[in-house]
Amino acid sequence: MVVTAPLLTTKLHVPRRRRGLVARPRLSERLDRGGDVALTLVSAPAGFGKTTLLTEWLATADRRSTAWLSLDDRDNDPNTFWTYLIAALQTAVPGVAAGAFALLREPHASLDEVLATLVNELDAAPDDLVVVLDDYHAIATPEIHERMAFLVEHLPPHVHLVIATRADPALPVARWRGRGELVEVRADELRFTAEEAAAYLNEAMGLALTAEHSAALEARTEGWIAALQLAALSMQGRDDPAGFIAGFAGDDRYIVDYLAEEVLQRQPDDVQHFLLRTSILNRLTGPLCDAVVGRDGGRPMLAGLERANLFLVPLDDRRSWYRYHHLFADVLHARLLAEQPDRVSELHRRASGWHAEHGEPSEAIRHALAGGDAERAADLVERAMPSARQNRHDTTLRHWFKQLPEHVLRNRPVLRAGYAGAILVHGELDGVEEHLRDAERWLDSVAPADAAPPDTTPAATGAEDPALVRAVRSQVAVYRAAQARITGDLAGTMTHAQRLLNFADPHDHLVRGSAAGLLGLAHWSSGELTAAYRWWSDSRAQLEWAGHHSDTLGVSLALADIRIAQGRLGDAMATYQDGLAVAARHGSHTLRGAADMHVGLSELCRERNELETAREHLAASTQLGEHAGLPQNRHRWRVAMARLREAEGDLDGAVELLDEAERCFVSDMFPDVRPIAALRARVWLAQGQLGKAFDWTRQGGLDPADDLSYLREFEHVTLARALLAEHATSGDRTPLQQATGLLDRLLAAARDGGRAGTVIELLVLRALAHQHQGDVPGALGALERALQLAEPEGYVRIFVDEGPPLAALLQACARQGAAPGYVRRLVSAGAPAGGGIPAPRGPVEPLSARELEVLRLLATDLDGPGIARELFVSLNTLRTHTKNLYAKLGVNSRRAAVRRGEELNLLARPDPRSGRAVADR
Amino acid sequence: MTKTTGGPPPSPSRYEIRLRGRLDPRWTAWFDGMTLTTADDGTTALRGPVTDQAALHGLLQKVRDLGLPLLSVTPLDAEHPRTVTT
Repeated sequence: MVVTAPLLTTKLHVPRRRRGLVARPRLSERLDRGGDVALTLVSAPAGFGKTTLLTEWLATADRRSTAWLSLDDRDNDPNTFWTYLIAALQTAVPGVAAGAFALLREPHASLDEVLATLVNELDAAPDDLVVVLDDYHAIATPEIHERMAFLVEHLPPHVHLVIATRADPALPVARWRGRGELVEVRADELRFTAEEAAAYLNEAMGLALTAEHSAALEARTEGWIAALQLAALSMQGRDDPAGFIAGFAGDDRYIVDYLAEEVLQRQPDDVQHFLLRTSILNRLTGPLCDAVVGRDGGRPMLAGLERANLFLVPLDDRRSWYRYHHLFADVLHARLLAEQPDRVSELHRRASGWHAEHGEPSEAIRHALAGGDAERAADLVERAMPSARQNRHDTTLRHWFKQLPEHVLRNRPVLRAGYAGAILVHGELDGVEEHLRDAERWLDSVAPADAAPPDTTPAATGAEDPALVRAVRSQVAVYRAAQARITGDLAGTMTHAQRLLNFADPHDHLVRGSAAGLLGLAHWSSGELTAAYRWWSDSRAQLEWAGHHSDTLGVSLALADIRIAQGRLGDAMATYQDGLAVAARHGSHTLRGAADMHVGLSELCRERNELETAREHLAASTQLGEHAGLPQNRHRWRVAMARLREAEGDLDGAVELLDEAERCFVSDMFPDVRPIAALRARVWLAQGQLGKAFDWTRQGGLDPADDLSYLREFEHVTLARALLAEHATSGDRTPLQQATGLLDRLLAAARDGGRAGTVIELLVLRALAHQHQGDVPGALGALERALQLAEPEGYVRIFVDEGPPLAALLQACARQGAAPGYVRRLVSAGAPAGGGIPAPRGPVEPLSARELEVLRLLATDLDGPGIARELFVSLNTLRTHTKNLYAKLGVNSRRAAVRRGEELNLLARPDPRSGRAVADR
Repeated sequence: MTKTTGGPPPSPSRYEIRLRGRLDPRWTAWFDGMTLTTADDGTTALRGPVTDQAALHGLLQKVRDLGLPLLSVTPLDAEHPRTVTT
């Protein structure tokens, strides 16, 4: 339910070409060389004609698709920056980077994922896309620079970036220059040569100057085009250009001062007034100018200024928005400050009012602050907060808060709480305590807590709006809980989340859903599965009502994980399938989290020994694409694939995948109850590599005498397995005794905690331990109890994976009459596992959508050029895709790639209804 | 804005910023109240208190945006002026 903030389309507009320009082929040729590299840097001070050069160059090379973005200081919010950048790309290539754009709106998506998706999607864009970022010097946020550097390093060869800036950007420019991967146009090249100056003054401006005069101007201005332009304007209509040039050349005043003076003096009074008063505006439009100047006629005035070439830059084709040339605006603004200092704050107040009315809070706040009206700015921030938060303009919010002076925050509990939230959302704590305490003081003063004696109530009570009090109270509780979570304080998290549920508006589903989730999390982490399940279910319902569908899929993962621990595979399966249904109902099957549902289903199918279906689910997850998966899906997918390989007997492949899973592990708030390292230790045990497994137990400080906790249960079970394996190899009794003792304690704990899934596994291990001790009736008793718990839920691999020793026990069980049908199934499932056919291996890394397309075309009769034509890419680009997909599939020929694609079911397309793979034909 | 790591404590101090070109005294308000002095060699000195490093960078950015060639930035100690030329 994230509302899209309106984008200023003027920022995406390629500035119009001006009439009467001087052709500068030497610079165009330089820019053309940018076609060979990722980045072209146009770096020079204000007024050097950077923007003009680029618009001219783009207009003359008409084949190019061009994305244009004019940056300003509001784009320092990373979310805003990337939103505009992708919007700009979409003006050039409609629909491009849709996945990255959707990700930006997801509450849990990280910008790194957005970038990775963007790079992949640009890969699929048509050839030769030029992306211009104008006024890049406005960006001062280090995170944006870091990700821009990543983008430049990973741009597909057919996408070229052009950065125009007044100062060299904080990017690794020197490195790229050293590698010859950078084309540069700098001030010295941008300066007008004597010939260019003459051409400009005489041909473009029609001044008919002598060579000597134009040379004098070129020398005085040092080829600075802004100054040449001002000089030309000053001379238009003058009888005595020679006198003007002599005066100008003989003067050492700041050029722009001198010339602006000349230009301004020749304007009528009303024009001068208009120019000075509107100089405080970043962007101009008729009605805004009317509001600021205090009289009508803004629109015709702007049109007149543009006709007179008075440094007005149109920002759109409809002549509705303009800006002043930066340099000219600064001169005007400085004059305003010097000549009418008393007027300035009034002008800002009017501008602030207009922008507030027209839904531009950022500009409204900027003007309120510039006009020295901090109270008004605080009001505006308070009003703009909810939508800024919803749109995840976290950095903008924090920037607003930081600018507000401390004194206006006093007695503004909503701002205090909001400020705390804006800090917490960045994972920081600095200042949070102070803001929350101030908000709490206010709450205590207007609505004392039940325990407080009534006589301490200060004077200003009674009049407060109960809805406001409740809103502040629940906000404070949200941020107290978040604060506790960041500091790892489980009890505090629970207390505050519980308080939150007591105070929050019953209809505030998002807040209630978050609070319930925090409680679910806390109970889960302490092993109270029943309570955890109840809270998570509540959380899912609230989030669904709030319309946060993708979040409900994240909660489904938690619910299914809990059901699996409880040994309720059928319920877990239903949870994942419900998740897929939610995805299908809302928008599309590529709702973020849908891919995770398939990975979960795959794990369940593997446990039930439906290995083919398990594989299909993993392929379906891959086919949905990276943007359909939560950040954790990358490692979860690899873990699921590893266990599938393990089931198929490919233990080396399993270890490899687990190593990869560990590398791409992304933590979420869920407790890590099945660590990847423990899974790998189990595979080592299966390989007979006891040394490695015990290295791991030592590193983790695991000991059979440890106190037990749910969070380390999986590791302790793994330790018991290692001890049993050690006994089996060495015949030593000590590890067997240690394992038995540990298993008994684990069993008691798992039973107490209602974790039937763990109980089944522990009973199986206990049966094996009894057998080693020579106690066959004890072994059969344990196994029989395991079978009773496991049969209704369809467990298979939990028995089969133990191999022949357990198979013998199972058959003995069946002879005693315990679940004979089930045992027969288990034994026959185990039979081929030992000497089975080596299974095809899945791709190490999911293929991008483009690579999948290429793979499908490789399966046709088309030759290379034919495929390239089909995809509208160059042969070179096709080669890049092919090389990448071969590497991902681990093959080195077209035929092998197609075969591997068939094995992995990648040649099919996803069925939009279920998200499952179906045959293409 | 930017966090300073190390460096001098953020106490207010005075700076001189020297530019090439003669700047009209009208720019005083634009440069946050710095005093403007033009010298015979055609340079202009902006002098005045600067709250912290962020404020100093803000001033330098204004200089950059006017396209004025920057000659030097010098911290002014009230008693013992010393010059650090960039």
